[in-house]
Parts: sequence; structure tokens; C-alpha cells
Amino acid sequence: MAGLIIDNVQKSFGQTHILKGIDLEIPDGEFVILVGPSGCGKSTLLNCIAGLEEVTSGRILMGDTDMTHAAPKDRDIAMVFQSYALYPNMNVRKNIAFGLEIRKMPKAEIDEIVNNVAKLLQIENLLDRKPSQLSGGQRQRVAMGRSLARQPEVFLFDEPLSNLDAKLRVEMRTEIKKLHQRLGTTIVYVTHDQIEAMTLADRIAVMKAGHVQQFGTPQQVYDDPANMFVAGFMGSPSMNFLRVEVGQNGDDYHVLIASEGHTYQLPCPKAQGDLSGYVGKDVILGIRPEQLTHVMPHVEEGEFVTKVPVKIEVTEPTGADTLVLTRINDEECECRVHPAEAGQPGEMMDILFNMDKAVFFDIETEDRI
Amino acid sequence: MSIKVQDTRYKDITARSILYAVLVIAAIYYLAPLFLMIITSFRSMDEIRVGQLIEWPKSFSLDAWAAAWNQVQIGAREELGLKPYFINSIKMVIPSVAISTLLGALNGYVLSFWKFRGSEIFFALLLAGCFLPFQAILLPHSIVLGKLQLTGTVSGLVMTHVIYGVAFTTLFFRNYYVNLPGELIKAAKLDGAGFWMIFYRIILPLSTPIIVVSVIWQFTQIWNDFLFGVVFSDPDSQPVTVGLNNMVNSTTGEKRYNVDMAGAIIAALPTVIVYVVAGKYFVRGLTAGSVKG
Repeated sequence: MAGLIIDNVQKSFGQTHILKGIDLEIPDGEFVILVGPSGCGKSTLLNCIAGLEEVTSGRILMGDTDMTHAAPKDRDIAMVFQSYALYPNMNVRKNIAFGLEIRKMPKAEIDEIVNNVAKLLQIENLLDRKPSQLSGGQRQRVAMGRSLARQPEVFLFDEPLSNLDAKLRVEMRTEIKKLHQRLGTTIVYVTHDQIEAMTLADRIAVMKAGHVQQFGTPQQVYDDPANMFVAGFMGSPSMNFLRVEVGQNGDDYHVLIASEGHTYQLPCPKAQGDLSGYVGKDVILGIRPEQLTHVMPHVEEGEFVTKVPVKIEVTEPTGADTLVLTRINDEECECRVHPAEAGQPGEMMDILFNMDKAVFFDIETEDRI
Repeated sequence: MSIKVQDTRYKDITARSILYAVLVIAAIYYLAPLFLMIITSFRSMDEIRVGQLIEWPKSFSLDAWAAAWNQVQIGAREELGLKPYFINSIKMVIPSVAISTLLGALNGYVLSFWKFRGSEIFFALLLAGCFLPFQAILLPHSIVLGKLQLTGTVSGLVMTHVIYGVAFTTLFFRNYYVNLPGELIKAAKLDGAGFWMIFYRIILPLSTPIIVVSVIWQFTQIWNDFLFGVVFSDPDSQPVTVGLNNMVNSTTGEKRYNVDMAGAIIAALPTVIVYVVAGKYFVRGLTAGSVKG
């Protein structure tokens, strides 16, 4: 077992800079997820960790060994690929055993490991089949089995669930989490699916354009985003961004919003950011749909809760909640209400603005205030 | 209310009939010469002399085949018939096909999965070899063979065919391999396999369709080659195509059509057999290399 330290890693292909200085310190046994939009460099970073791409500069340490220029086979890393990359000409047993055979392990030992892995992943009955005779979920299991067999220090997963259908994806997600809890091996997992990231990770690294935007626990990243990109990327439906003016009443600050020709003052908790430098100026208010609800008595009494009548533009029932699209400060704003409380499009409805978890961003830099 | 009937059956049948008629005529047009060759090879010379060229055989004999195989005098050679030439061709074609296919597979593997600086240019230059007119290289290549002291030997012919075949085989294998997922190679690298291990254990076992394509292509090209055979060989190392030419052209007196026909069929038989045995893989392999994503 070993932790992983990625120290100022840069990677360029000719003039194209993919990774622009990545620093991550991953303790032994942690489940870290790299998440970001397509082309943010997350898969490239994973390939650099695996040794499949040479880094342009920087260092990669496993435990206290510098692995920056080690060959992939010497890194004691196993990887699960998006396409599974099972060897089509070998049956499942051979696929799992291949890496062990190359390492010249005795036959009896290989058989034992293959059987153990097969039992762990419940693929014992598939051992003599070829990959082409397996379903997507079964291939996924075999691919995991192949990497488990080598008992590596670090597991890498490159979007392993994106080829599965929605239901199977949720199942396999749970399987992977169980597996990690059982083995306790360090895992680095790449995905573009923020729900996968939230549910699986011990810590999430949100990446954009070759930089790590934020590295923290799922709850930190969700509640306390470092900038507008992270705030907008994590969470579904995504956070509402409203351009608002900051006002002051004695020691307390508030922001102003307009709905249907009326202006309302929303008091801001001091813990959510120091607005003293922004009085009279505009900032971006970030507030998640679940902070905008129908009227509930116990919420309404809160110190930073304001009731605002809004006009409903569109409703989107999801079953558990209904999403109500409305217009605040002439910008679209989504609220999450109880299905029974949602009105019809065109009607007015009272919405509680709960500012307890509201966040503020500078308009110029898009960073948190 | 009247019901409109949409019945296109008669139209369909008419279109089909015309299509099949055209196909049958085309087939007859192409098969007739072959048919003529076969029946003539079984007729006796007496019969051919007195009768029509196109006529059902009145007698059936294998004499012409036996003569073409090992009785007819070709040039000033001691051994009779096409047999020694046929053996030369086999000695030439088997190593040529094997070596050029293996080299093509290796080249394709490197050009697809182990790209190096300039590998695209290398591939483009190699492709130019496919468009090279062979008569343009006869003179320089004969100098090369002379320097290597391979002039007039079967080994020299093998070397020639390998060199000029590798451009095609590389193209085949490279186009086949670029459609294999690159993650396969990455997975094998992480499993600890090296360059040769990946080639033998993973890539070659996946290459059957394209190996078949390469073998058929190379076999027919090399077996049917006349130019290199006639230029770079001695009487002792001439392939069957040259032997057939000499046989047809060197007879004195009467032209023995039945022997000529039998000889031509003997010379063409191996390629026909290869097509019949592996033809369906050929079509499958060709499309697998180009269409499958």
C-alpha cells in the first residue's frame, strides 16, 4: 500500500499544454476522484500516473519512491479502462491470469488468485467464456478482476462506468465503493459524471483546463466551492447564479433581488463571506435550487429566510420534487418545491429564499468572496 | 369509398429477371474461355486438328496434362515439362509470402501502436512503394542482386518479392491495426508485457482475417509474377510463369493446343485453390480493415 504524491506535474503535446502544474497529495487508502468537463486533462493525468504518458515536468511519487520515469510495469499500478480493454482472444481466466503469467508466478498460485478474484466479483461461472460472450456489466467485472489479481498499490479507473446503462451504472458504483471499503487500496478514478464523483469519493479534485480548481471532500466541494466553475459543475440541477447589488444596514449586509416589479432585501449571513468591500456594487449570488423552496413554517422562521412571490414560467416534475423555473433579476432561477405545492405555469407562487448556504462570487475573477 | 391497391409484385419480378439475365450473360462471357481451356486440354491433337476449336470432346484423355507436366521439351533444358518450374515457383512463393506477411504485420504494429518521430512520413514513403512501376526498378535492382551475388537464384527472387511486397502488406496490417482499441496495448503494458510479448500474445492472435488477406494477395501476386521471374532468374531458377511462356513459344512444328491449355491451367491452379479455400476470409478481411470502426 502506498500513497501518491503528484508534484507540479506538467504535460504538453507540442505547443498544446494539457496539464499546467498539478499538485495532489493522496494519502494511502484514499478514494480520489478526478472530475471535470471533456478535455480538462483528467485522463491525461491518469495516463501520466500510470506511466503510459511521460510527464513534461514535475514528479510522481508512490510511497517514498520517485516513479516519475519508471516504466508502467514497474509502478505496481493497475488500471480499468473505459472500453475495458479485455484481450478478445483470451477467455476470462486467461485475461485475469495474463499479468501474473508475465510476472512468472507459479501456475498453482495463479490458479488460486484467479479463483479468489472470481469469487470476490461473482464471475466464477464466466471463467471459460470469451469477452465477446459477456454483457457490459460482466466485462466490467472481468476488467476489475484483472486489475485486482495483481494486488497493486494503486488502482486507476478511467471512466469505467460510462459504457453501462443507467441502472447497471448505479449498481456497479455501489460495487466499486464496497470493494474499496474491503480492500482499502488507494484509488484514483476519473469521471465526468459529478454524481459518480459525489457518491464515491473520499475527496474530489475538480479540474478545468489543466488546473485543479478545488481538491476537497464531496461536502466541501458542494457547500463551499472555490469559484463559480466548481459551484456550477457540481450538483444537479446546478446552482443558480444571479447578478445582485450589495446593500448595508448598520453592521449587516444584504443583496437586492427583483421579482415581478418588486424589490426584496435578502439578508446575508456573515459566515458566508465578507461583503464589506462590495457595498453598492454588483456581485454574483450563488444559491442552490434546494435553498429555494415552497413555504414551510419551520423554515420561514429562520433568520436569513425571506418570502418572495415569483411567477412560475416552467415546471419540471421529477417525482420526489418539482423544479420550478422562474425569473429573478431578469435571469432564470430554479427552485425545488414539493410536487403538491407547485402551481401552474403563469401563476404566482411564494418561494422562501434561504440564504444560510448562499455563496458570493466576484464578477471579475469569478472567485469566492 | 374505393380502396387503392398498391401491388408492385409484377414490377419487382420484371426488374429481378432483367438483373439476373444480365448477370448470367456476364458470367457466361467470363467463364467461356475457362471452359474452352478445360475441354481442349482433355481432347487429343488429332481431334483438334480435324474439328472445330469449339467442340464437345469426342474422346477423353489426360495425355496433354501428363505431357505438360513432365514430358514436353522446354527450351534446352534436360528435365522435361513444367514440373521443375513449378517446384521453383513453390520454393519462391512460400518464403516470400511468409516473410513479407510477417514483416508487414510487424511494420503495421509499430506504425499503429509504437509511433515514433517521423513515423507518419515513414508510412507515407512506404506507401509510395505500392505505386512504384516495377519496370522502373529492374536495372538498379539487378545491380543490387549482382552485388549480393544473388543473381539468377531463387533466393534473389524471394528477396525481390519480399522488398516489393512489404509496402502492400504493411498497408494492410496498419489499416487493420488502427481499428484495434489502443487501450488494449495500454492494458498489456500495465500487465507487464513488452514489445514482443504484446505482439505475439495479443496482436497476432487478433490478426487472422488480415493475415489471410495478406497471404492471398501476396501469393497471387508472386505466383503470377512474370517480369521479375524472367529478368532476375537463370534457367535453373525460373518460375512457372516463365516456364509456361517458354513452353508455348519454344515448340517447333505443330502447335499443341491441348498441351498449352493443360500447362496454362497447371500454372494457374495454385492461385485458384488458394482463392477457393480462403476466399470468404479474403472478402471478410478486406471489409474488416476498412469499414469496421
